[in-house]
Amino acid sequence: MVRYVAQRVGQSILAIFLTVSTVFVLVRLAPGDPAAAYASPLATTAELDRIRAQFGLDKPLIQQYGIFVQDLFHGNLGTSFSFQASALDVVLSRMPYTIMLAVSAILFAAVVAIPAGVWMARHADTARELGANVAMIAGQSMPEFWSGIMLLTVFAVLVPVLPASGFTSWAGLVLPTVTVGILQIALISRLVRREMGAGFAAPYLTIARSRGIPERGLTWRYAMGNSAVPVVTALGTRFAAMLNGVVVVEVVFAWPGVGSLVVRALETRDYPLIQATVLVTAVLTVLVQLLIDLTYPLLDPRVRLGKAVAS
Amino acid sequence: MTAEFDEDDRPLLEVEDLQIELMTEAGIVRAVDGVSFVIRHGETVTIIGESGSGKSTTAMGILRLLPPELAVLSGTARFQGVDVIADPRAVRKVRGRTVSLIPQDPMTALSPVHTIGQQLREAVRLRHRGLSRAETVSRSVDLLARMHIPDPASQLGKYPHQLSGGMLQRVLIAIALAGSPVLLVADEPTSALDVTVQAGILGLLLEVQENTGIGILMITHDIGVARLVSDRIHVMKDGRFVESGEAEQIVNAPRDPYTRKLLTAVPRLGPWDEDGESPDAPIALGEPR
Repeated sequence: MVRYVAQRVGQSILAIFLTVSTVFVLVRLAPGDPAAAYASPLATTAELDRIRAQFGLDKPLIQQYGIFVQDLFHGNLGTSFSFQASALDVVLSRMPYTIMLAVSAILFAAVVAIPAGVWMARHADTARELGANVAMIAGQSMPEFWSGIMLLTVFAVLVPVLPASGFTSWAGLVLPTVTVGILQIALISRLVRREMGAGFAAPYLTIARSRGIPERGLTWRYAMGNSAVPVVTALGTRFAAMLNGVVVVEVVFAWPGVGSLVVRALETRDYPLIQATVLVTAVLTVLVQLLIDLTYPLLDPRVRLGKAVAS
Repeated sequence: MTAEFDEDDRPLLEVEDLQIELMTEAGIVRAVDGVSFVIRHGETVTIIGESGSGKSTTAMGILRLLPPELAVLSGTARFQGVDVIADPRAVRKVRGRTVSLIPQDPMTALSPVHTIGQQLREAVRLRHRGLSRAETVSRSVDLLARMHIPDPASQLGKYPHQLSGGMLQRVLIAIALAGSPVLLVADEPTSALDVTVQAGILGLLLEVQENTGIGILMITHDIGVARLVSDRIHVMKDGRFVESGEAEQIVNAPRDPYTRKLLTAVPRLGPWDEDGESPDAPIALGEPR
């Protein structure tokens, strides 16, 4: 167990380092000049050179990378060009909002999608299930920027019951959560329906039914108990993906999270800020993934960490 | 004839003119076509037939375990007077209490993510609601001990994948008996097991029957099994009983040509041979575990 975790942490550090290095090179390969973004529109070549020197962008790429890595090991991710503050601090100040939205959206999705999926599995191949399926596919097909704007129009403009943007009160969390949730509900409920369908067809369920166990017990203890691993994996993976910033939704609702931050950082070619965002979200993603893996043995006794699942 | 039966005189199971039609991709198939049989206290009645003869469909049908949208049942099947064909909901009253199922493949018959103890205690509690946790556990340990499972208390914490097929079948018999039923439906209970383990399971079933007087409906394709356990045998082919009678008569003096064919399909009885496949071999082995 300890060895497994140590191994995983080692792998993760390597993966994070490679990710950050790749991003370091890629942002510099992309067209656009940070100096031009920060200088006045009428800046002279000399002024641009001065800004480049100030940001350390006049040095060869390999030397910039050397400085970056050296700073990285001292916990310094550079100074954000646009905020003129520690890039890491800027990202960390935004992170709580993204985490809040991600937690709220994943809870909302789980609370709706799991019962919906179970209901669909119990009514498999009926007209009602077909109807539910159509609704779910519709939900899956709606782009987030569209459903977000529609929800805004209805609940913040036509019937102004909820705040339109930003985070000033808990009510502000509702519309972004629902917008993110719609897509997740569509995806997760259909996964739950598929897994539960397999669970209902399992021999042990029929045998349990033959000894008089009520349908409720069969559904929640037997079928759900045996579907827990894929369902938890899906929820965890979606949650980890949301931590990378729910970019579109954050922009639509002016949500002060890392998603809208990274859009701004990209627009202004704020290299240190981009790098810091990638590093922080990569670390969080890896942590969530490790946490999911650690729950497997609790959900399925056949799983032994560090080995493949016995069938 | 009065409506007031003495409880003990009522047959455990009375099946009359049972028909089961299955919706298949090839159309409607009459898998069971008018079979009738009776099982009384302490009796073992065997339905023997090849695969596809309808014997397992009969067993699953009377327990109402066939998917309702795929199977149409008619006739009667009364468990101590409760007809589960006329009223499918009535089966809830008999499952686990009057009748329990012993499955064909013990390896897939228990939930892999729950312990033996969880599944056994659940079965005990279904019938005996007032028991405390300690009483439920001690009753569970007791049941496992009666199945000759070594060190029963420590088995409760194990998961199905940690036990062998033979052990799991013993656990499943214990679970089947947890609700103190009067009838067991054993659907090919030994086909998925090694020959040496089969004898132990059959011996155990006979021992349970001797101690409790439980009735058994045995479904099998194996004439060796049928001969060992049965009081009466029904030979099934294409959804009908082609021959019914006392076990002795069916085995020693079969009348129907199909029964004779079934009997000759068995390897001849002989001295112990290398592959040990003679039908009596498992019996001679007795309790292997």
